Amino acid sequence: MDLFRRFALGEIDAFETLVRQFQGEIYAWIVRIVRDRGIAEDLTVEALWRIYRARHRFRPEGNFSAWARRIATNLAVDHVRRKRPEQSLVADPAGGPQLDHLLQRETQEKIHRAFRRLPAKLQVAAMLALVEEQPYDEIADALGISVGAVKLRVFRAVRILRRQLSHLGVRP
Amino acid sequence: MTKHDDRQIREALQQSFPTVNTEIHRDLWPAVLRKLEARRAQMPWYDWALIGLSSAVFLLFPQLILVFAYHL
Repeated sequence: MDLFRRFALGEIDAFETLVRQFQGEIYAWIVRIVRDRGIAEDLTVEALWRIYRARHRFRPEGNFSAWARRIATNLAVDHVRRKRPEQSLVADPAGGPQLDHLLQRETQEKIHRAFRRLPAKLQVAAMLALVEEQPYDEIADALGISVGAVKLRVFRAVRILRRQLSHLGVRP
Repeated sequence: MTKHDDRQIREALQQSFPTVNTEIHRDLWPAVLRKLEARRAQMPWYDWALIGLSSAVFLLFPQLILVFAYHL
């Protein structure tokens, strides 16, 4: 019996093999969304547990990777939704004179805060499409929506972001 | 909105968000297994409901404890 069928039947050995095979891929996807390694590890463990719990819904002839990624994405979107917008992870711009450095940092902080105020669904679509430059079809698959819907979310995110930034006096 | 606008926003976001390392640094299987075992060890809700119901019955009708003990 193949691995996926054994997993769907609840065999723990089969699940262990799948965890070892796919944990890196699931973690990489989650960390791209949440951008924190510790949180991404916790969410990956939670996602893997949910995957095991949902094994009855998995069709062994289906695509395990895509199915697992969708579960992981839902979890990551929930995390982004719960996360407070004040939390910030702004990159420290390297080099440059002190004043430029401070201005640049302040601008980045404003962009970061404006981004974190976007609705979670828009944040995730924009993060994956614009920051991580992931293919639209993969994003669509992970979010369980069409490519057109992903493009619309990204478009809306950019529009809201531009409006918020112009209110803050920032021109990216 | 033009492609130029999109590119500006994309570049601004890429500068604002630090690049993340997507490599996993440890095997997560032990943590997953611990979580699975912890959840398995937890009593399901219907067991708690049964305990609650039995306690309520024994509190209301204490004489049933003797009947119950006799049948054990």
